[in-house]
Amino acid sequence: MSDFQTVILGEMPALSKLYVNAAAAAARRRVLGTHGGTELPAYTHEVRGVRADVANLTAYQHLIGETAGDVLPAGFIHALAFPLAMSVMSRDDFPLPLLGMIHLTNKVVQSGPILFTEALDIRARVENLRGHRTGTQLDVVAEVRTAGREALLWRGISTYLAKGVFLPGIDKPSAPVTQPPFSVPDPTALWQLGVDTGRAYAAVSGDFNPIHLSVLTAKALGMRRSLAHGMYLASRALADVGAVKGDSFSWEVAFDAPVFLPARVALDINTVQGDGGAWARSAYVAWNPLSGRRHFSGTVAALD
Amino acid sequence: MSVDGQSVPGTHEPAAATQLRKAVVVGGNRIPFARAGGAYTKSSNQDMLTAALDGLIARFGLQEERIGEVAAGAVLKHSRDFNLTREAVLGSALAAETPAYDLQQACATGLETVLGLANKIKLGQIDSAIAGGVDSASDAPIAVSEGLREVLLDLNRAKTVSRKLQVLSRLRPKDLAPDAPNTGEPRTGLSMGEHQALTTAQWKITREAQDELAFNSHRNLAAAYDAGFFDDLLTPYRGLSRDANLRPDTSPEKLATLKPVFGKNLGAEATMTAGNSTPLTDGASTVLLASEEWADAHDLPKLATVVDGEAAAVDFVHGKDGLLMAPVFAVPRLLARHNLTLGDIDFFEIHEAFAGTVLSTLAAWEDEEFCRTRLGLDGALGSVDRSKLNVNGSSLAAGHPFAATGGRIVASLAKMLHARGQVNGRPARGLVSICAAGGQGVVAILEAL
Repeated sequence: MSDFQTVILGEMPALSKLYVNAAAAAARRRVLGTHGGTELPAYTHEVRGVRADVANLTAYQHLIGETAGDVLPAGFIHALAFPLAMSVMSRDDFPLPLLGMIHLTNKVVQSGPILFTEALDIRARVENLRGHRTGTQLDVVAEVRTAGREALLWRGISTYLAKGVFLPGIDKPSAPVTQPPFSVPDPTALWQLGVDTGRAYAAVSGDFNPIHLSVLTAKALGMRRSLAHGMYLASRALADVGAVKGDSFSWEVAFDAPVFLPARVALDINTVQGDGGAWARSAYVAWNPLSGRRHFSGTVAALD
Repeated sequence: MSVDGQSVPGTHEPAAATQLRKAVVVGGNRIPFARAGGAYTKSSNQDMLTAALDGLIARFGLQEERIGEVAAGAVLKHSRDFNLTREAVLGSALAAETPAYDLQQACATGLETVLGLANKIKLGQIDSAIAGGVDSASDAPIAVSEGLREVLLDLNRAKTVSRKLQVLSRLRPKDLAPDAPNTGEPRTGLSMGEHQALTTAQWKITREAQDELAFNSHRNLAAAYDAGFFDDLLTPYRGLSRDANLRPDTSPEKLATLKPVFGKNLGAEATMTAGNSTPLTDGASTVLLASEEWADAHDLPKLATVVDGEAAAVDFVHGKDGLLMAPVFAVPRLLARHNLTLGDIDFFEIHEAFAGTVLSTLAAWEDEEFCRTRLGLDGALGSVDRSKLNVNGSSLAAGHPFAATGGRIVASLAKMLHARGQVNGRPARGLVSICAAGGQGVVAILEAL
């Protein structure tokens, strides 16, 4: 990690600008056929003293199904840190096209509660560039601390795939990973997601990725319809797990088939108790109730 | 001591029951239940509750009487009905000095009003009370969309014209779409029927068994009407003198032709139809409760005593138990508190939210493993004698205006108990079991006087 140089930004970058820049960069690449090299930028971007907007927090909590309390939901912190992560991926020396990257997995460790009143130091970097059988993947790491403190309160690792992009010198894994076939369990919940689900999440997360906003903007990027945001889905599952998870927990999600809007999504949450009957973890899986295709799955678990 | 968070039955004694006086059921009155969109389409909750109340007042001569307290409620309730019961009292022939309060515990609302008021009578806080409930699925409150609501609230807060215009400019066409109530559980998004379909499949309840229970409900209710059982329990309203959902001519064969409506996406066969599930219904019910002294002083009948009640709730959200299975836990606790078994009950009134609910409940009590591990019993709680179950019909035939069902059952059961009188040298005993949304259930024991 010591190889990383820190770039301190004065304020949270605006996502709208980053998306516009990404679109421009994509067009430039298409015309010029250049790419940004084969190595990830060794820079950590940092913004200090970030505060959550309480009105935005309330809107987020209501949308996701969290009670509007004063502790920031883990998914909200992801959204809070996301522009900084994007700023690393929109650097000129970032080797992959930003637009169209697919969110494969997301892992969060929440080590303690963060109140909305706290000033936060947020850092983001990219690492672990590696092959995937359909392209190239990497990890985006974001970290959140109380301003001026060293103790890590929240860490998120988002793994993204640049599909169809193969960089020289990066081998793709020889054997494809075979997943066991998915057998549909009985649902514990059923979500009705309207066409505006993507827009509603964009409004509270600030992530105006065009593939989530409307059929037209999604089609412009090659999707047949707009998609529900993966972090919206995972955050709802996290909210559904409920208060049993406490203030410190790990939260993982792996995304499978995208959720095209509008949609009905079936969800099963399976609670696992440890020795003595205390909550150990809740495993969740979501699927399309008509086709039986799995949309995503993951766990929320107590920290060791 | 606890098993899975549900306390083991019989670990505490009832409060010194000998020191408490009795709370007795004097009688009841309801209006016939109508199917949603039927005879009561334009009647409000307040209209129907007042109609049921006025019939009760007329039957027991309560005009100008100051009743100790009136408690009632509705599950689907408009915000303007914040004082629904008090408004119904003011619109009735009761003395205007009669206090009233609203209560809301989903489908257990009606029974909980009975238990709460009976407790006040037992404690000597009041001498008389009227419990009740009402619901309209037809005249249901419709909320405006969140978008419109926020604009309207912000508009109200805006002080200047320019600020008001600014707020108004946020309105979008989709904000004008109304937000109607639905039967989905807030935490799961599954409707009550879909929840029950999971439970029905889990307990392997067959389509035939559900249709048979539904058929018995219609047959028993029709027979009760024919025998004049409801003559002093019901006041005609809006042209109805019988429950509109009752189909005296239905048959198991006819019920077998209906298509499943719930549980169609589950792995198991879908078995729940419109015939073995209760329809959305409009209606109201009331029950007159009193101390023995008050009833005697007013020269009124004493049908039964409200012995005791118990509430339970289950962790249904992630499927640990079925949404409507809370009474499975409440009943053994209540029985144990009175050193009773299922064999000591002469009338079982198990609310038929769905035929599958009743049958899953009975199956759970017959399941030795479940009763040992989940209820903390030594073995199976036991079997319910089907000849004692819902003998004058229940919700599948009568319909189920959510908050009105408790009052319907308590008034009918009190009358049955009184008619039966003594069994083996002890008062006839009845058990009421009502499941409710949110994974809750309220149960009660009544005894003949």
